[in-house]
Amino acid sequence: MHLPHDQIDPRPGLAAQTRRTFLGSIAGGAAAFSLGGIALGEMLAKNAPTADADPLAPRPPHFAARAKHVIYIHLAGSPSQLELLDYKPKLAEFHGTPCPDEYLKGEKFAFIKGHPTLLAPQHRFQRAGRAGLWTSDLLPNFRTIEDEVCVINTMTTDQFNHAPAQLLLHTGESRFGAASFGSWVGYGLGCDTRDLPAFVVLVSGDKTPDAGKSVWGSGFLPSVYQGVQCRASGDPVLYVKDPEGMLRETRRATIDAIADLGRAGLARHGDRETEARIAQYELAYRMQMAVPEAMDLTRESQTTLEEYGASPGTPSLANSCLLARRLVERGVRFVQLYDWGWDGHGTNPSDDLLHQLPKKCREMDQPVAALIRDLRRRGLLDETLIVWGGEFGRTPVAEFRDGNKNFLGRDHHPHAFTMWMAGGGVRGGTVYGETDELGYRIARDPVRVKDLQATILHLLGLDHLRLGYMHAGLNHRLTGVQGDAKVVRGLLA
Amino acid sequence: MRPALPLAFCTIAALALSWRVTGGVTRRSESEPVDFAEDVLPILAENCLRCHGGVREVAGLNLGDERSVLAELRSGAKAVVPGRPRESELLARIASNDMDERMPPEGAALAPDEIVTIRRWIAEGAEWGTHWAFAPRTRVEIAGDAARESRHASWPRNGIDRLVLARIEEAGLSPAPGADPEALVRRVALDLTGLPPDDDVRDEFFADPSEAGYARLVDRLLASPAYGERFARVWLDLARYADTQGYEKDARRDIWAWRDWVIEALNADMPYDRFAVRLLAGDMLPDATEADRVATAFHRNTLTNTEGGTDNEEFRMAAVFDRVSTTWQSFLGVTFQCVQCHGHPYDPIPQRDYYGFLAYLNQTADADRDDDSPRLAIERAGVKTSVPVMQELPAGSERATRRLERGALTAPAEVVAPALPRFLFGEGAAPVDRLGMAESLASAENPLFSRVAANRAWEILFGRGIVETSEDFGVMGSGASDRALLDHLAGVLVDRGFSMKELLREIVTSATYRQSSVASEETVRRDPDNRLWSRAPRLRLEAEQVRDTALAVSGLLSRKIGGPPVMPPQPDGVWQVVYSGDAWATSPGEDRYRRAIYTFLRRSSPYPSFIAFDATSRETCTVRRIRTNTPLAALVTLNDPVYLECAQHLAIAARAHADDATAVRAMLERALGRAALDAEVARLLALVADERARYAGRDDLARHLAGKAATDSTDLARDAALVAAANAILNLDDFLTKS
Repeated sequence: MHLPHDQIDPRPGLAAQTRRTFLGSIAGGAAAFSLGGIALGEMLAKNAPTADADPLAPRPPHFAARAKHVIYIHLAGSPSQLELLDYKPKLAEFHGTPCPDEYLKGEKFAFIKGHPTLLAPQHRFQRAGRAGLWTSDLLPNFRTIEDEVCVINTMTTDQFNHAPAQLLLHTGESRFGAASFGSWVGYGLGCDTRDLPAFVVLVSGDKTPDAGKSVWGSGFLPSVYQGVQCRASGDPVLYVKDPEGMLRETRRATIDAIADLGRAGLARHGDRETEARIAQYELAYRMQMAVPEAMDLTRESQTTLEEYGASPGTPSLANSCLLARRLVERGVRFVQLYDWGWDGHGTNPSDDLLHQLPKKCREMDQPVAALIRDLRRRGLLDETLIVWGGEFGRTPVAEFRDGNKNFLGRDHHPHAFTMWMAGGGVRGGTVYGETDELGYRIARDPVRVKDLQATILHLLGLDHLRLGYMHAGLNHRLTGVQGDAKVVRGLLA
Repeated sequence: MRPALPLAFCTIAALALSWRVTGGVTRRSESEPVDFAEDVLPILAENCLRCHGGVREVAGLNLGDERSVLAELRSGAKAVVPGRPRESELLARIASNDMDERMPPEGAALAPDEIVTIRRWIAEGAEWGTHWAFAPRTRVEIAGDAARESRHASWPRNGIDRLVLARIEEAGLSPAPGADPEALVRRVALDLTGLPPDDDVRDEFFADPSEAGYARLVDRLLASPAYGERFARVWLDLARYADTQGYEKDARRDIWAWRDWVIEALNADMPYDRFAVRLLAGDMLPDATEADRVATAFHRNTLTNTEGGTDNEEFRMAAVFDRVSTTWQSFLGVTFQCVQCHGHPYDPIPQRDYYGFLAYLNQTADADRDDDSPRLAIERAGVKTSVPVMQELPAGSERATRRLERGALTAPAEVVAPALPRFLFGEGAAPVDRLGMAESLASAENPLFSRVAANRAWEILFGRGIVETSEDFGVMGSGASDRALLDHLAGVLVDRGFSMKELLREIVTSATYRQSSVASEETVRRDPDNRLWSRAPRLRLEAEQVRDTALAVSGLLSRKIGGPPVMPPQPDGVWQVVYSGDAWATSPGEDRYRRAIYTFLRRSSPYPSFIAFDATSRETCTVRRIRTNTPLAALVTLNDPVYLECAQHLAIAARAHADDATAVRAMLERALGRAALDAEVARLLALVADERARYAGRDDLARHLAGKAATDSTDLARDAALVAAANAILNLDDFLTKS
């Protein structure tokens, strides 16, 4: 459905006035006058951006939120759902037989050529948890947290190359230029802490995702909303460390001098942006202390480090998971984890199902489970939403690129894949949706990428239709201009 | 927390003012007929077009289309019967009290005066009209000073000023006083060259700050090669120029020769219409030169997807879509991208017109290939290189362009012949090819072409366009804060042979431009957002200017022009390149200190310190950067080794002054380009004294902080303290802004 304009809720920021926000403010102002001055004040403070407003000040959600924070674990390259959480015994039964023709009509693959054959699940599955979820032996720790998790086996996307699929998942558009999930959330809700960035990105596995830093960029939103990468080596945030030889007291003294001269200028020219800049320098100073503190894993107990499998100083998904908890504890709104190395084509031992996938699962399974247990123990799981998954799935057929059958792997598969969510507002211990016998297509309850995005926003108290930003004459939304995304109620507690 | 109320009240004042001066939806006096475009269309756009517009056409009604409005609807009724309000369903619906009938169906009803306006429009004959921006330019009559009563009769220097003054006076205000020469020379140098003024430029102006002296200053700046570098920045954003192909592999792409072409064309003041034709179709000009072909790399800055299994036709079309969108954004200020899938939601552009335009750009030989062919081999600056260019397919192998349902490649519909959109170009004979399209687009008769260019020039100098949404001149854009001023500027551009330098000269020599950025309290109170141009703006420098200015004042800046991109220092580990061993290799020698525009731009990993100051990764056309203030930007100028190196050089130049106060004053004046105030010197002197004490006896630390200043140092603690002060100076508000 399309909303009339007065229901669109532009969030404050540094956006320029457009006719719509401008007229909306006037109309709203006129309406609010009759309700009294305070309503007017709120109306204008909410709708009319000003150059000196704090664009990251905390803002109320559209309705009561189930979660305040998000930890989004993205496995770049995309793990095989058929070896992990979508159990398809029929694939074993028909292993090695040609894929039925009806599946291949009009189908295009990234790498497969010729008529492919079905590939059995390469790892054993067992039931686990109260709901008896089929779970791969590659995920022994996951079995201990299944009751917290809602597994979605029917994710579907329309992109089958990494970069466009990652962009679609993270920005709602398969092309460059749109705003990332975390930046939308910062724009919608602001941030409780100002000592740390609202939207933090942690990268493990040596490489950034295929789509580059655009997956955490701010696109058409003001750049203040972009994700800030906290790094495992070097400065945790670029330029956060004082220059070599500069004493902390010297940095304090320089910032005081900058502020004093700024204020003297303010008295002469009255430019309120100067006030804002002075405040940013103060925040920068606090960030210089808060970021290294938050990123310092040596402050964790040995027991905790062992539970996660984390070791300070070496970048790993385990470290990222533990850091994510530390950041959420300190008020960061959105923590985005990227882990590289999940693109299991089966062309060699470093991208196949029998060597690489078990290795990656060993690196992932323990810390992810530890994170959920840890958040639960600390009372943070109810207000933190965990999202897990890749950008698409893997084919039920073997890839055997260029006829090479020495290793087993699967090609890119957009039609059906698995993601899961846990924590704030999620119906734990359930499986949502069902794929067909071969795991090729969805049998019931598909969840499109935009539906997942609408659902996550809903859990954060944001109506995806109202969370809009006027840019180049269009009211952009994370879930697209068509406005047909649906909150998936079956995922909600 | 900031108290909410005062902020809100300031905002009200701003809105009230812009409401009045926008000249948009004002109620006509009884005697004056209602004007569709001025009075009615904004009401429809705001309340109706989302459902009854080009996208959805609910009930078969598109209120942005005259034919649809007058036609019989599916229900049998007519939305509008000219002269007969009572028979017009539109009026019945908006005025209805029955919630099942009333439009809009949700939210508030139209305001009573809006309903009156629509009734009067119908009663007066429902004359259709064109949105102002798409209508021909008006020749702006500017009353001579003698004809008007003015308290500031001697203030105006040209037509801009007469228009601006009229509105300032109408609001009961006065223009701000003129900026002092120091502020003015820094402002105009930063605006025209992106750099603070060189010493000799300053000295010459200070020696003769008269009208003639200022004119000479402007001439000199416009003639400086730095002018082209400064304005090329804008075109690189529009052209989504980068040194890599984008997408997954984001491999390197040699296309810097195009960047150099832009700099040279701007420096030569190539007329803007010729400039545009060359960017779009230089290859098709009769007797096209090598340079004309290089110019067409403008549209070869699109992304190339070399990932395995990608459908080349899909990404070739993605590039063509991008070229259509970029062409309209850059030259015409209209959002065209949405028409790829359906009729424009607000502006009168049917989907067919999109594909008619796309047909002009759909005949080139490039096709999402790894090698970006076709390329043109050339030699520039002593370097052999090749540049991807536009090249038409050979005769006989042209592509048929089809309209795509919902913009989907999988849903091709009818074949569409090349044609220009009627809403702007009328019904006349369509040009046959890309060159003809470019020539029509870049003509004096096209009202958007000159308006958009004039608005851009104003936006660059004043920080905000006369049309604030410079990417959208359409019905849903911000509208023009002063249409007469915009058309006057567009007229100056056209009348002076599309010379961009002449237009800029007209603006920067106006009294409006030369105002102080400090205005009276009353002016600030009543025109808080400077909608009336009642003073000069104070603006944070652009990303590129922050770097270039710091390098310039510390004496490090290389003035070498053009050539392959360079890699100044960037923190280790920023490039984490997928699939290749490509690495950031810091450039040696003077290439370390080149202007920002020459910094290698990898789309998937742009230079981090620029991003902190609102530069973009250039994946798509950027018309307007939104300035933000963040702690991350502060961390760049505080801690980035590039800026520390600048501070060290600033300190080295100043330490010869034995007296700390003189040294501090020298650094301040060097960086800010103005006389330092005694209070400023005193405050920084206190800092220096404290830091000298702090670093006394800590030679190791002092040596690190002083860096290059430590070489030949006779007093390490003092040098460290001066570097700390210089570091503070390069972070001062007055350093980071132009005013």
